[in-house]
Amino acid sequence: MRLTAAIFLIVNCCLPFVLPAQQKTNSKSPLPIFKDVAQQSGLKFQHYNGMTGKFYLPEITGSGGALFDFDNDGDLDVYLVQGTTLEPNTTPADTMFPWRNQNPPRGRLFRNELLTSGAAQRTLSFTDATDASGIVATGYGMGAAVGDINNDGLPDLYLTNLGSNQMYLNKGGGKFVDVTKESGTDDPRWTTSASFVDYDRDGWLDLMIVNYADFSVSNSPNCYSATTARDYCTPRVFRAPGNRLFHNKGNGTFEDATVSARVDKEFGHGLGVVTADFNDDGWPDIYVANDGDPNQLWINQKNGTFVNDALLAGAAVNRNGQAEAGMGVDAADFDGNGTEDVFITHLMDETNTLYVNLGQALFEDRTREAGLGMPGRRFTGFGTFFFDYDNDGWLDLFVANGAVQLLAPLVRQKDPFPLGQPNQIFRNTGKGSFVEIDAAEAGAELQLLEVSRGAVFGDVDNDGDTDVLVTNNNGPARLLLNQVGNRNHWLGLHVVGKNGRDSLGARVDVVTASGSVLRRRVRTDGSYLSANDPRLLVGLGVAKQVKSVRVRWPNGTIEEWKNVAVDRYTTLNEGAGSAPP
Amino acid sequence: MVVGAQTAPADRVLQPSRKDLVAVHLPDLSTLEEGVREQLTAEQNSLAAALKNPAISNATLSEAYGKLGQVCHAYSLTAPARECYLNAMTLAPNDFRWIYLTAELDREEGHFDDAIGRFSRARSLRPDYVAVSVNLGNIFLELNRLSDAESAFAKALEIEKNNPAALYGMGQVSASNRKYAEAVRYFEQTLAQVPAANRVHYSLAMAYRELGNAEKVKTHLAQQGTVGVRVSDPLVDGLQDLITGERVYLSRGKIAFEAQRYAEAANEFRKAVAIKPDSVIARVNLGAALSQIGDLKHAAEQFEEVLRLEPGKAIAHYNLGIIRAVENKPEQAIAHLRSALSIEPNDTTARFLLAQQLNKSGNAEEALSEYARVVQSNPGNERALLEHVKLLFREGQFKQSLDALEKSHEQYPQRGQTVVLLAYLLAASPQTDLRNGTRALDLAQRVFATSSTPQYGALVALALAELGRCSEAADWQRRMIAAAEQDQNKNANLLVKLRAGLKQYESGQSCRPENETILAELFMGPS
Repeated sequence: MRLTAAIFLIVNCCLPFVLPAQQKTNSKSPLPIFKDVAQQSGLKFQHYNGMTGKFYLPEITGSGGALFDFDNDGDLDVYLVQGTTLEPNTTPADTMFPWRNQNPPRGRLFRNELLTSGAAQRTLSFTDATDASGIVATGYGMGAAVGDINNDGLPDLYLTNLGSNQMYLNKGGGKFVDVTKESGTDDPRWTTSASFVDYDRDGWLDLMIVNYADFSVSNSPNCYSATTARDYCTPRVFRAPGNRLFHNKGNGTFEDATVSARVDKEFGHGLGVVTADFNDDGWPDIYVANDGDPNQLWINQKNGTFVNDALLAGAAVNRNGQAEAGMGVDAADFDGNGTEDVFITHLMDETNTLYVNLGQALFEDRTREAGLGMPGRRFTGFGTFFFDYDNDGWLDLFVANGAVQLLAPLVRQKDPFPLGQPNQIFRNTGKGSFVEIDAAEAGAELQLLEVSRGAVFGDVDNDGDTDVLVTNNNGPARLLLNQVGNRNHWLGLHVVGKNGRDSLGARVDVVTASGSVLRRRVRTDGSYLSANDPRLLVGLGVAKQVKSVRVRWPNGTIEEWKNVAVDRYTTLNEGAGSAPP
Repeated sequence: MVVGAQTAPADRVLQPSRKDLVAVHLPDLSTLEEGVREQLTAEQNSLAAALKNPAISNATLSEAYGKLGQVCHAYSLTAPARECYLNAMTLAPNDFRWIYLTAELDREEGHFDDAIGRFSRARSLRPDYVAVSVNLGNIFLELNRLSDAESAFAKALEIEKNNPAALYGMGQVSASNRKYAEAVRYFEQTLAQVPAANRVHYSLAMAYRELGNAEKVKTHLAQQGTVGVRVSDPLVDGLQDLITGERVYLSRGKIAFEAQRYAEAANEFRKAVAIKPDSVIARVNLGAALSQIGDLKHAAEQFEEVLRLEPGKAIAHYNLGIIRAVENKPEQAIAHLRSALSIEPNDTTARFLLAQQLNKSGNAEEALSEYARVVQSNPGNERALLEHVKLLFREGQFKQSLDALEKSHEQYPQRGQTVVLLAYLLAASPQTDLRNGTRALDLAQRVFATSSTPQYGALVALALAELGRCSEAADWQRRMIAAAEQDQNKNANLLVKLRAGLKQYESGQSCRPENETILAELFMGPS
């Protein structure tokens, strides 16, 4: 436990970050914010959970997906994680929701064939590239993480499973090779979320994975709801297996650094993970969201080890001291004070929880002050992300919902899978709080009663606003195309390190013409079981230019760019900027 | 078959006898526990009979609706409970109970505006019912309406001046208003009323953090736990008395167990056993809860009873194995663990325990065999590996001991304790041809660089001695003695060993460890 007098002197300190008053030019749009274009664009994917009516926990836990440009053609492709059967001697066609396809269920890779003619004309279409890719993911899939593990400029794909995980090395030309064994990155347990992070700043991406529960079909007990009817168990009936940190040795192999890095010391039933420099010391820290156990905030000790500081930091449990059912998690500077705040989704009847970073990684649960308490109580949240849907400069929130215990009203309606709940968007007011956006404004697809799990974020059609890929358990994937965001100005940044890859962990400060600073972080992690667009999309409101862009690279050096063009994507290469004044 | 409605018979609807009442939609009961189903059916029939009575008074019909509503509420069948309460309220508009319980449903389901309205009305009828004000305060707090919350908690404190839930609420209001000294006072008062409410320590710690009192933060975080405060609420608490099903108690017990409230869990499981004495799961859980509170005698009785009911219940054997091990009865522990393993041979935890007990009972040969099986099935289990290696060492199987360590080290090169034992064996194995001083030194230095403790420093000295670098070994040893002497938690036994080692290293050319016993006990366990 880190506890020094100095910590307490700066509790209420805020970095000199001031944002202007909200600059929306289009606060109300005649179009709903999102429109589902999955089917029409060829992104046809139905999740299969293998359920047989025996209430096995994994069948309601997955699955996620990834948005990543695997073919380096400048647009985001899609990977969707698939389930399979759970019980031995069961075929996919014999389960409660039978798999109708001739081929068995497996994770699928879709290539984005985006056509752009002129600024406004974009045609989005996807083709299934799975068979040619070499990705054979036929296990009980959970999530995906993306990072370039060999610094060849091609994003690699890590797939988490109930059972052994898979590391796929991107060889270029749309081909992947399974290097799980050679790289030493397997974990045979039930892994959920994962994050690529260069925790020792040696230029190679390491990998943190979180594990959920020591489940097997044979050790799964019967559980009951308060009505005494059969229902899904909580994870607490299974032992928590512990998480794992893999250190990238830079030669295509990883070593298990869990023990040496001391992240084995504390763990719970892990579902979410996000990495960020929470104490602003230039070294990436790791935050793990646990289902029913206190969360961990692993503070990087800069020597290859971590210390869990969550309890003292005020980020382990909610303001009442209660551990909550952490599912998805994200971190970003939502209030513009320059620090990484944390938002975690939870079970219905609990609130989702907003931990505001007061500086130096000291947090305060400000859920109710931020207006996020009540709206979260109604649903069970999973995927979540801070993103600026309307490009007004303030980070909003998306929450993907879906229950984990049978919902009585849906049971009464004879719903065959009575866990469906609508998804939510919350607009950042710019005053430390959020307002839930109503159904008409958000879009009809957000009101569907589906069992959403993953939520993946990125600008799929490269039009300057953030789209959302929602993965539904036992349901179709939905690609929610943002129809309104690019009415405001924006800055698109592709931040590339000297090692030739997306510079995950780089901190980017966009200084606007008025002198305010928008702080963002390059990452693919966050949300739930998902890997997001590594590019930064920074909303500028009415501002047509920015004064400068400052990048703090993961190695600590800082560079600055002037006159970066707005309303387009620009690549910032490490070494090409100038020293800041 | 579907999950939500497994047999899906038509729901039963109790049509109202009057226009101002609503129909009560009773859910499909087929998935519920038999006793619960019978209880609910009996209550439904009773109401149905009342509805057929044209002469029934409003008060009597209200009671009948209210009773069914309460039973439904007790089992979280909230929709029919609400319909029943609404009718009961219509028939008896000033009956506090139905307004209050409907408000409670509103609160449980997150309809906070409705809850505020109904709790306020309930408070006008029963201003003395302290739970109404506390509930209102908590809802206002949730809505961040801090002054309303403060007023509600203040009203509760007017009724009961030391009500812990209201004091805690006042503390939360103060903390939200950033009046941390005031918050501390309220939280301290709460704890004074309910010392067992250890969750309050967290709130106290956070308030002290804002006040900059690091010592208090540390003290309270060390005491924080999972027990909160709640207001005494006879009406809501009374719902629990209506519950008859075993599963509900199992469920409640499980929640309490998971929250480490073991006494409460045992109480719930006891109720489940009382309802269904032949319930294996209730008895297993009761035994587990009793074990956690240290009542091993009664825990063992439960597991024995489970084995009488279901002789092949592996978990009962396993738990009895643990209890007998704790009671230092290795032979009985071994018998139960063997039984558990005969049913679930892949249970490596049971096998590991078995190996330990075999070792304890002096059966080293079988213990070695069991340890080997554990390590084979789970090479990542470092603890089992180390126990195995130590036992091999103590049995004089030095080559096997070293081989096992080398194999594990190759697979998990960063495992600290594995490296420690490997360094020790390479420096001081009684079988001298197995030694490799250079590697031992390298490994020991790696260990010491990670954890600079005197015993690991002594390992470096031992490796230096093996290489014949006696004066360097002596220098290291002196430094470690100095460090050990300065250690606040001075370990006298370690100091004795370090000094004995120093004596050997200072003896000059013969400092190479021959029959090293000084550190053997430290690293390899008692011989």
